[in-house]
Amino acid sequence: MRITRRKLLTLAPVAAVSLGLAGCTPKGAASTSGPKKKAVIPAGDLADKSGTLTPSNPTTLSVYIESTHQIPAADNKLTKLLKDKLGVTLKYELVTPENSDQKIGVMLAGGDYPDLIGTGDLKLRFIEGGALTRLDSMLKTGKYPNVEDYVKPYIKQMSYSGTAVDKGLYILPNYNRFYGDITGGTYNGAAFWIQKRVLEDAGYPDLSNMTVEKYFKLISDYKAKNPTTDGAPTVGFEAPAPTGSEWILTNPPALLDGSPNNGGVIVDKKNHATIYANKAIAKTWYQDLNKVYNQGLVDPETFTLTNDQFQAKLASGVVLGMQNQGWQFGTATSSLQSAGKDQYTYVPLMPVYPGVTPYYADRAVMNTNQGFGVSTTSKQQKQALKFLDMMLSEPWQKVLSWGIEGQDYEVGSDGKFTRTDEQRTQSKDLTWQSKNKLMALMDMIPKHNGTFSDGNAYSPDDQPTEFYATLSAYDKNFMQKYNKKTWMDFVNKPPQNPKYYPAWSITLDDAANQANQQLTDAAVQHLPKIIAGKTSAFDKNWKAYTDAIGQIDVKSYEDVINKGIKYRLKNW
Amino acid sequence: MTETTVSKPATAASGPEAALPLAISSRASRRQDHKNRKAQKKTAKDPKRKITWDRIWAQRALMAMAVPLLLYQILFKYVPAYGWVIAFQHYRPGLGSIWNQQWVGLDNFRNLFTGVNGRQFANVIVNTLGQSLLSLIVGTIGAIVLALLLNEVKNLPFKRVLQNITYMPHFLSWVIVASLASVALSLPSSGGFINQALLNLHLISHPILFLTQPNYFWQIVAGTNLWKELGWNTILYLAAITAIDPTLYEAAEVDGAGRYRKMFNVTLPGIRPTIIVLLIINSGWILSTNFDLPYFLGNGLVSQRAQTIDVFVLRYGYQLGHYSVAVVAGIFKTIVAVILVGSANLAAKRFNQETLV
Repeated sequence: MRITRRKLLTLAPVAAVSLGLAGCTPKGAASTSGPKKKAVIPAGDLADKSGTLTPSNPTTLSVYIESTHQIPAADNKLTKLLKDKLGVTLKYELVTPENSDQKIGVMLAGGDYPDLIGTGDLKLRFIEGGALTRLDSMLKTGKYPNVEDYVKPYIKQMSYSGTAVDKGLYILPNYNRFYGDITGGTYNGAAFWIQKRVLEDAGYPDLSNMTVEKYFKLISDYKAKNPTTDGAPTVGFEAPAPTGSEWILTNPPALLDGSPNNGGVIVDKKNHATIYANKAIAKTWYQDLNKVYNQGLVDPETFTLTNDQFQAKLASGVVLGMQNQGWQFGTATSSLQSAGKDQYTYVPLMPVYPGVTPYYADRAVMNTNQGFGVSTTSKQQKQALKFLDMMLSEPWQKVLSWGIEGQDYEVGSDGKFTRTDEQRTQSKDLTWQSKNKLMALMDMIPKHNGTFSDGNAYSPDDQPTEFYATLSAYDKNFMQKYNKKTWMDFVNKPPQNPKYYPAWSITLDDAANQANQQLTDAAVQHLPKIIAGKTSAFDKNWKAYTDAIGQIDVKSYEDVINKGIKYRLKNW
Repeated sequence: MTETTVSKPATAASGPEAALPLAISSRASRRQDHKNRKAQKKTAKDPKRKITWDRIWAQRALMAMAVPLLLYQILFKYVPAYGWVIAFQHYRPGLGSIWNQQWVGLDNFRNLFTGVNGRQFANVIVNTLGQSLLSLIVGTIGAIVLALLLNEVKNLPFKRVLQNITYMPHFLSWVIVASLASVALSLPSSGGFINQALLNLHLISHPILFLTQPNYFWQIVAGTNLWKELGWNTILYLAAITAIDPTLYEAAEVDGAGRYRKMFNVTLPGIRPTIIVLLIINSGWILSTNFDLPYFLGNGLVSQRAQTIDVFVLRYGYQLGHYSVAVVAGIFKTIVAVILVGSANLAAKRFNQETLV
């Protein structure tokens, strides 16, 4: 109590000053939800014209975010901007994705939630546990134009369609609701990644018609020549199964078979889903992996790595290859880049089984399970939603993704955003980011992906000129050798997504969830034995695994997925 | 008169030899004392001493002091047990009150105790018991041995330093201990000094990946537990040792007992009640003390030996949002804990030892 009072006291003179200044600027509409003081709206595009969020009535919002990023530095300049323009202070509760499962359970059991919940939970426990507010009626008031604009074309996909709580909109997805043209050069999807130095050493070989055999040949050749990297033993291949990202170990068979990422199932031409974990396509891959393990290509420690240890290993530059999704090791990539070790960063390759067309890259899909919602226990739901609304406005989106004009980017005479070399370099520096960007918030906030109304891309990485200019000399040379312009060019041109896509975002019921967990358990228990076992014991180990799967109620899992596919084909 | 004159030289003559019979008599009297004390205890426990209003009034100050504790226990240990009804529901936290839920009878029990879950649950019970018992046995023996050894250290400053060093790890959190252990057990290239030491001693020719071997997991848990709690656990034993009457040692010395004899025949019997009471108390915790290590050190490869009840409940109960399953497992654990404490107590009574109840 004493602290807040003191804070208010120190704020009083500031408010008085801004009151005085505000006298000169036109005031917005009369304040809404009855704030204690008259709303004073600062000048500029960043201010909330409705008067809900103003510096004269400071708001503290608690936010729960699942992110690998740290809480921003105390003197972060955007934190200050939020305070100056909107009077908003964010109280972060950051949870790393691998710990989120248990955190969510505890939060639901406790029943007390922060104002805003930024969740990445595929199981939709916040919605089904009653932690999130249905937003439809709030949106109908017309007070949140940016959010309305965001959800309007996709409201059916974004809405919850299960039975645990009322159907409706609960979460504003954080990625891939596109505005205008889609641009971009970085590939963050699934691939068999390989370090650039491996290809460089092999004389930039042709990457088309990649096979598992060729992929491991590249790795084994390089490893034979370079048994150590910066003093540490070189690792050929990682196939870890860290908690929450077990799919790193389990996803490859579907990709090798030319199936896009549908999670634990492959969906055939008739839109029927079946699990592939115990099928021949999986057996072939794990047999290959078993073979290269016994040649010493796979890190013997790989199965016991936690996500932190895995990222640290990648960031040390010793790992030559892995199957993974680009975003999963983003932290390791940026730390390698900021250390100037571009030869240790990765290129996406697409090995497939003979006669199969690769389907690795998909059209970016909205992950409708992921993003921000307003909690049911929040005492300031209007302010919380208004905050999301403000963040979705173009001016704030530019601040969040580009930064501040003149400091973090420049505007050319043609209105295009560019950056100086210094601005480019510093933007990759993790310490700089902590003081000048809100990385954690950026993970979960709904985004204006695509292009802004003035033709600039949503973020520097997506701005074609910027993308090429930010490439390091090493990367530029690398791309030139392959005659490609972006990393996207290294993977297949994404075809139109199937209508139901992706199956992994279908909500499971209790029985299916349990079966899914048991399947994952069986995989992390048996696959390491299969991979690390003797080649002669492969068949025996494989049988033990398929037997274990046979005991699980797989049907309940497949049925729910197929029901979800049918629902989406009919309603989306 | 004659008596005194006769007796005087007699005592004088027996002077040099007097120590022995005297010691015996003092021992005998001590034994007598012990018996008396036991007798007193018996009378204290005697059910014939009725609780009357007068007695309650006479002890009103003590009673008043006990009331808050009693209320605390009732409020926090017994009242929340109404939540056990969740075991018979399809519980969804979003629906508000727990009386506003769908009732499903014994479905949750069937789910947990049959099928794939049933096999897994049976397995996690074995793991829980195995890890706990091994930790308990190793931990108790280790603590007693260390307490005995510390008791023999005559240089006080050195003893203090030793004691401090051994009980420091107790204050580390399990997360830290688990990561220390996982580093220690990893490959030499990742800092695994255990492998390095074994290699240097030529005990092994290839480094062993300890954390991928299911059969090492229980031992790793017991060993890590021992490392962390060894010093801390000796504190109670050391306190019990200081309470042993020093005259007993003197007597034993006079009887010609050496250091080891004294350890086995004076110190150990002296702390026997403490050992028994601690064992009884700990037996109640057997099903509940095993979360951190198996959770942090466990991985898919060793889950057959690593997964304990608490880890299982976390993964299949809380993480999947099946609170009902978690409650069923909780009820099961409580029942088993009551049985364990009860039977340990009974066993102790049978062997005529100190008991809790």
